[in-house]
Amino acid sequence: MSTLSDSRRAALNTIGDVLIPAALGMPCFTDAGDVDAMVDHVLSLRRELTDGLNQALDRVGAEEEAAAAAERLNRDDPDGLATIGLVASSAYYMMPEVRRIMGYRGQEQRPATADEEHDYMRDGLLQPVIDRGPIFRDPDGD
Amino acid sequence: MGETAEVLIIGAGASGAVAAKHLAEAGVGVVCLEQGRQVEASEFYGDKTEWELMSQRLWHPNPNVRGLATDYPIDTSESDVNPLMFAGVGGSTLIYAAHWQRFMPSDFRVKSLDGVADDWPFTYRDLEPFYDHMDVEMGVSGLAGDPAYPPMTPPPLPPLPIGKIGRLAAKGMNDLGWHWWPAPQAIPSRAYRGRSQCARRGTCMQGCPEQAKASTDLTHWPDAIANGAQLITGARVREITVNAQGLASGAIWIDRDGVEHHQRAEKVIVCANGVGTPRLLLLSGGDRFAGGLGNSSGLVGRNLMMHPYAATVGYFDEPLDSWLGPAGQAIHSMQFYETDKSRGFVRGAKWNAMPTGGPLGMRSAYGGAPLEEAWGENLHRATQKRFGHSFEWGIIAEDLPDPENRVVLDDSLTDTDGIPSPKIIYRNSENTEKLIAFHLERQREAMEAAGAKSISTTTLMRDCGWHLMGTCRMGNDPETSVLDQWGTSHDVPNLHVLDGSTFVTSSGFNPTATICAIALRSVMHMIETRADQRVAS
Ligand SMILES: Cc1cc2nc3c(=O)[nH]c(=O)nc-3n(C[C@H](O)[C@H](O)[C@H](O)COP(=O)(O)OP(=O)(O)OC[C@H]3O[C@@H](n4cnc5c(N)ncnc54)[C@H](O)[C@@H]3O)c2cc1C
Ligand code: SF4
Repeated sequence: MSTLSDSRRAALNTIGDVLIPAALGMPCFTDAGDVDAMVDHVLSLRRELTDGLNQALDRVGAEEEAAAAAERLNRDDPDGLATIGLVASSAYYMMPEVRRIMGYRGQEQRPATADEEHDYMRDGLLQPVIDRGPIFRDPDGD
Repeated sequence: MGETAEVLIIGAGASGAVAAKHLAEAGVGVVCLEQGRQVEASEFYGDKTEWELMSQRLWHPNPNVRGLATDYPIDTSESDVNPLMFAGVGGSTLIYAAHWQRFMPSDFRVKSLDGVADDWPFTYRDLEPFYDHMDVEMGVSGLAGDPAYPPMTPPPLPPLPIGKIGRLAAKGMNDLGWHWWPAPQAIPSRAYRGRSQCARRGTCMQGCPEQAKASTDLTHWPDAIANGAQLITGARVREITVNAQGLASGAIWIDRDGVEHHQRAEKVIVCANGVGTPRLLLLSGGDRFAGGLGNSSGLVGRNLMMHPYAATVGYFDEPLDSWLGPAGQAIHSMQFYETDKSRGFVRGAKWNAMPTGGPLGMRSAYGGAPLEEAWGENLHRATQKRFGHSFEWGIIAEDLPDPENRVVLDDSLTDTDGIPSPKIIYRNSENTEKLIAFHLERQREAMEAAGAKSISTTTLMRDCGWHLMGTCRMGNDPETSVLDQWGTSHDVPNLHVLDGSTFVTSSGFNPTATICAIALRSVMHMIETRADQRVAS
């Protein structure tokens, strides 16, 4: 199901690429994969964002230069710009390609192994704390 | 309508669950009314791609952001801090971080030692056996021997690894000669009593999808129900009723079809948390108890404490896997916990070294700042700097009781059943501000010693009212307290409060280990003295 009209989607992609450009080894918003589908997914889970997003996107003129439009929106409608940014960045950081480049497999399962436990005992990291002894006041101690 | 319950519990969160389990096991007939519902592990997003997206709304800790019908909205227009909580079986433990911290002995003697606030009506030693017991029931992982405490019974499970962030933080602390210790957590490092070993997903504050974390829907409610406790969900209590003798006689509650019921009871225990409990007492009492049930002291709702939270984030070159869980804390420090008056303030704070989560962070908070600051190339730069390469030293700042910081009933706001909402009036004190400033300076030193390439600080996080305390304080004097040391109302002998409202002071520790230990101590006393108690007939 497509939640955005063609013109709004075009505006989102235009502003999205200003907010998330290709730089520092990362792709721009629209080069991150099928971001249209991911944006639809974001909006299906966060329906409350749709109205604010539509209103903000309607303020972007079809002929307007992308960077100038983003600047103007940020000045005149900061909440609207923030909503566009939230939708675009949420979709972007869920894209498999973006996660692959970042080395992020999501909040993965990585149960601890026994050799990760107590390493501070084995290598003495905790020893100075133990050696310094108690640091508490004990008003009712024996 | 219906049978009279021996004990009616209002609220199925941390304290309500502890009370229900132990009363039911002792053969006491228990009914519990809970406005929320049972939440299944499959509903949590921690194991799903959409985790961060959903944590900003559906699983946000602020009920005003979630806006669910099961929550009540809260007027926070006059508060520096937003109270945070969750409504459901397990209450706020569904989304807590499970730092499982005991108070230190001095926390119970604040007046005697530091000349401020009040002493508690019992001591650390009085509570210690109940702390021990709760460690076992929750399945606490930790390392015995922390020199910030008197010697104590080791927790049942070995500590979770402190990981790369914990080791880095610890090295910095060692350089400075400062205290740190592997943090105690109500998160099992081994499979424990039907719960899984922690998989370190790091999403504990949006619910644990692994059924590992000790939330009381898992740790206590199954036993309570198996022993006959009746748990009614979707049951929103609007008033505690009182009989002609001035005893609590039950509660009026509304089901999800809008139908009103009266649950009669011989005894009522309120466990609706530090905001929900004073709200309910202020809504109750009628003409006989004008100003609220159990409120002859005028202190119901007053002395709200919420632990203002400040934090320091350090950014490092090396990869730290800093999205790895648990989300709560790898190590803690009580180096600056005890009062040192030469600092210009009293009391102190626990520090916790924590991971910094996923890549999305809080991008929505950037609206209005110069565009290039938050977006464009700087977005990538900031994400690469933080994500996987940072950790946070957080400060649980002890706020002192102040009667002006309070919960009152709102004039216009209501929940979906038309029941008046609570309004929070809360301002940080000068002592708190000085305390936070001092701790942030020390944390900067700790981050520098750990080798941080750059550092940022948050002086006060507004969404930080995780800990709700003090609004029905305990004490020996009915004029200066609402409850006695067992959580029993000074005014109404069969009315009890067992949640964080009971706290006399807040300490600088996450409160739930202490809430549960106090609830257990009070319930055990209730069971032992059962034959002597006045109850509604
Ligand atoms: C995000 C987050 C992180 C936290 N992390 C930690 C931590 O790491 N360590 C720690 O010690 N603590 C932590 N806490 C705090 C901890 O969750 C609470 O201290 C604890 O759950 C309080 O227990 P309680 O019994 O007082 O109330 P709750 O657990 O809040 O339960 C109260 C219950 O009462 C119900 N209720 C309220 N009013 C009514 C009514 N009128 N009718 C019917 N039902 C009602 C509510 O729905 C709720 O389920 C955290 C809290 C949050 C929100
Ligand atoms: S880190 Fe452990 S406790 Fe927290 S959500 Fe993951 S599995 Fe659950």
